[in-house]
Amino acid sequence: MASASCSLLRLQPGTTGSIYRIEGMNPILRRRLADLGVSEGVMIRLKGKGPFMGPITLECNGQLFAIRRKEASMIEVKVS
Amino acid sequence: MSSIALVGNPNTGKTSLFNTLTSSYEYVGNWAGVTVEKKVGSLKNGAGKLIDLPGIYSLHPLSRDEGVAAQYLIEESPEALINIVDASQLERNLLLTLQLLEYGKPIVLGLNMIDVANARGIQVNPEVLQAQLGITVLPLIARTGKGSSQVLSVLEKPANIPPVSFHLNYGELVEATIASISNQLQQISGLPNLRWVSLQLMEQNPVVLELLKKRMDTSELMLLCDACQTQLQKQKLALTLPQWIRSIRMDYIRSVCAAAIDATKQKPHNLTERLDSILTHRFLGLPLFIVFMYAMFKTTFDWVGGPLSDLLDGFIGGPLSDGANSLLQAIGASGFTHALIVDGIIGGVGGVLVFVPQIFILFLMISFLEDSGYMARVCLLMDSTMERMGLNGKAFIPFIIGFGCNVPAIMAARSIEQPKDRMLTTLLMPLMSCSARLPVYLLFAAVFFPARQATAVLAMYVMGVVFALILCKLFSKHLFKNESSIFIIELPPYRMPQFKTLGRSTWEKGKGFLRKAGTIILAGSVIIWLMSYAGPAGFNVEMDNSFLAKFGGLIAPLLQPLGFGTWQAGSTLVPGFLAKEVVVSTMNIIYHAPDSAGLEGQIASVFTPLSSISFMAFILLYIPCLATVGVIKKETASWKWTFFSMGYSLVLAYAVSLVIFQGGRLLGWS
Repeated sequence: MASASCSLLRLQPGTTGSIYRIEGMNPILRRRLADLGVSEGVMIRLKGKGPFMGPITLECNGQLFAIRRKEASMIEVKVS
Repeated sequence: MSSIALVGNPNTGKTSLFNTLTSSYEYVGNWAGVTVEKKVGSLKNGAGKLIDLPGIYSLHPLSRDEGVAAQYLIEESPEALINIVDASQLERNLLLTLQLLEYGKPIVLGLNMIDVANARGIQVNPEVLQAQLGITVLPLIARTGKGSSQVLSVLEKPANIPPVSFHLNYGELVEATIASISNQLQQISGLPNLRWVSLQLMEQNPVVLELLKKRMDTSELMLLCDACQTQLQKQKLALTLPQWIRSIRMDYIRSVCAAAIDATKQKPHNLTERLDSILTHRFLGLPLFIVFMYAMFKTTFDWVGGPLSDLLDGFIGGPLSDGANSLLQAIGASGFTHALIVDGIIGGVGGVLVFVPQIFILFLMISFLEDSGYMARVCLLMDSTMERMGLNGKAFIPFIIGFGCNVPAIMAARSIEQPKDRMLTTLLMPLMSCSARLPVYLLFAAVFFPARQATAVLAMYVMGVVFALILCKLFSKHLFKNESSIFIIELPPYRMPQFKTLGRSTWEKGKGFLRKAGTIILAGSVIIWLMSYAGPAGFNVEMDNSFLAKFGGLIAPLLQPLGFGTWQAGSTLVPGFLAKEVVVSTMNIIYHAPDSAGLEGQIASVFTPLSSISFMAFILLYIPCLATVGVIKKETASWKWTFFSMGYSLVLAYAVSLVIFQGGRLLGWS
């Protein structure tokens, strides 16, 4: 059974979710994320949150990267 | 001569391999976007030219450095390609590989970083990969050079690399569209593989579209793409055509990876994770960065660099000058020659060479930052601050490189995705205090703040960064359209920089400084010395009556309010535009100082502590040097912005020095 989706930011650091939907994101950033293999259906892990409401660190397909919280909130994930 | 191009994702070791396969040396580092230009070298076995391209994720460029690579593949015709892939990130890397296979040129796959993959418990089987993709696969460790001899022997006869016959089926609907587009493209000559061009066009690759637009009317082609997309939507296969193409490719890649990779024993990045939990900690991260920077400056100026410089100074001022003196006397050189060599060349060039140890140690530290993987983390830590200033954290990499030299730093800004952010980074770069300005601070700090040299010098660097941030806010608000900036940065695994790599990259950076000492600083010193030796009354005049004094005297009144309105100070500024190091050479010549101790004594009698701060601030800010102006013009492609960068820095320098000096006087300092 599919559980409800929530914003990526709601994940506990260290936990993984599968990407359900990415909406309203800047197209350049969307492309860059796709280059890194971030797209619907892929598993993504929240690694940590930076200082002063700064970027969050994510892991997807073994690649570590960071994006800002505002943009991360546009990624919806499902936690099973 | 055949040409072979190195292509691959960012930070997969293309340049490391380039350096081992050719006899040249190019810049390497551990972050995405180190190489921003096409580099050409000759293969060691003489089989042809090797071309190193900036890293790309796909042939669809986002940033300027990626544009360089995409443009090269489309407009030029390399004989063969070497595709470097990161074995620990194979799935992502193969997406580009498929597009290169469709490109149709003979291709060799360099399976790099197998050591990294093995350490993470990922076993890639090259034979299976080779069988699946139908091309030669060579396992590599480019950093140590392992496997590079096999690559070299394959490249010996590029003509022997078998042509690629790769054909991925995109489904009936798309295949039909590919056929009709290819059919229309047949009328144009000089295109690469037509199937590839069609697919790139269907993916909306802007470089391909531009190229076709120049040669033909593309409206019909666009209609074909639109029709295909509508069909896909109708059959509920995909929302867009590019998405469909991508998903077919991903499915194929997953099947290849499932066959070739054994990841059952996969481990997390242990070391990287542990380091990151401290270095990018939400509270500890920034303070740690500041501690590192402070330690870096302490090492450069107090702990190691300072004592070494003193030794060198002792040698140049003592044995070298004395030796030159007695030699010149022994061979009976004229007074003119004698003065030219001892006062002009040894004084001017030697006065700058004294700082070589400090500059090399600074370069060593920067190289360490670049190679360890910490650079990307600094961007992450600084992003929220930079965002408030209207820029993004990624600009911090060029800024740190700028502490070495502004010229490569401005080039490094190419990897920033958004044009506005790139422009801001370029314009603000001259405020990053480069190593050429260092001798000035070191000289003055030694005279006026002997007990707190590292702090005084660090203060100048911080001042530059603070002004850069303030101006960034100002410029982004008033000069550019309010485009929100984006931020994304890949965090590569940490690694211990190799001794050999560090030595090499420090030397490559420092070499430029030594070359300048032998060229522009030498020439500047000779000219300055001549101007100080000659005057309207003839040769060997009193220095106060020399051409140099007349010339400096023209500028001096303007500098009066800043606290250093002497012809001596004034005459250093104009040659300083050619190369900032010449400021110190000029001072050495003017004050006839045989060594730093003599010069420091002279300076103490002309400057006060307050006017020295004002002067240092002025030197920090006043103008980008000639080489930097050149690269700003090249990168912005606009004289307007180039003059703007010179103009604002001059105004800023004057205002800051004025506030420091006059404000300081009001407070009763001297």
